[in-house]
Amino acid sequence: MNAAYEFVTGPLAWLAWGIFLLGSAFRLASMYQLAKAKDAPSLAFMSWSYSLRSIVNWLIPFNALGWRKSPAMTVATFVFHICLLVAPIFLVAHVMLWDQFFGVSYVTIPDSVTDILTLVVIGACLFFAGRRFLQPDVRYLTTGKDWLALVIVLAPFLTGFLAYHQLLDYDLMVILHVVAGEIMLAAIPFTRLSHMVFAVFTRAYMGSEFGGVRHARDW
Amino acid sequence: MKRTLPLLLLAALSLACVQAAFSQQDMKVLAPAALGKLTRPAAQFNHDPHNEKAKLDDCVICHHGGADGKQDKSVSTEGTPCADCHKVKSVGKNTGLQRAYHKQCIDCHKAKGKGPVACGQCHKR
Repeated sequence: MNAAYEFVTGPLAWLAWGIFLLGSAFRLASMYQLAKAKDAPSLAFMSWSYSLRSIVNWLIPFNALGWRKSPAMTVATFVFHICLLVAPIFLVAHVMLWDQFFGVSYVTIPDSVTDILTLVVIGACLFFAGRRFLQPDVRYLTTGKDWLALVIVLAPFLTGFLAYHQLLDYDLMVILHVVAGEIMLAAIPFTRLSHMVFAVFTRAYMGSEFGGVRHARDW
Repeated sequence: MKRTLPLLLLAALSLACVQAAFSQQDMKVLAPAALGKLTRPAAQFNHDPHNEKAKLDDCVICHHGGADGKQDKSVSTEGTPCADCHKVKSVGKNTGLQRAYHKQCIDCHKAKGKGPVACGQCHKR
């Protein structure tokens, strides 16, 4: 147990963070090169004000037409993304580890609250899965890559919930949880999860084109 | 009469020592009052069985002295509660109480390759 725990919280953690950070930088750089080679004029149209206008308007729930068209999905996606970030970053046990490994400490939220946020993430994952099964247009567009992204995100929250409540085999669960989290980090640059790094640029591109070229709103 | 006071003092002192020793023998969890309401279930720690199993004869291995964030293993401090030196909120370079407990246990378990290292292995529900 100790050797396995030390391996997953040591070398494997460094590797996962390395892949996440360097991989994201690499993907951004290569996407920029691709844009320059294939669609150079679009880069000339990039504008800070049209970009920020689009990003801000899409960040407000039910503000964009796209949000208003599917209210259930809008609620699910906003709640999901907020909980997905807040729960692991401000979880007491995770901040303890920052303190233990690096002597860094910051504000936490109570475990009872994080527990609910975790359940919300799991629930939202089930909602997204149901949507991919049941909604015909989404079902038609769904590929294996979408399911992979969903499973990669669900795994750390499910194992984290089980480990926190010490259900099933704790020693195994805590190691599975760490590994699941590391898979998620490392998968961000190279799977559908890359929208974490790209979304802001996608929005900026759309906003700039609609604002500067079509003179229209993109929300 | 001249001897009564010193004898009484000696008796009180030995009683205090015996009590301290007994309280460690009975120790099942680490839940210093200084920490107040605990976030997780108290860390499980059976003082005597642990030391027997880990073959720890020398108190100073855990009950170290020190100052300014530096441990001094030549000064044994058994009998002094951890919280007397390690304040809940760390002062200056001194290690805070919670961090001190975590480091004391986990670092040794890591070095020895034995004993709990993950949260729920000590903080059992």
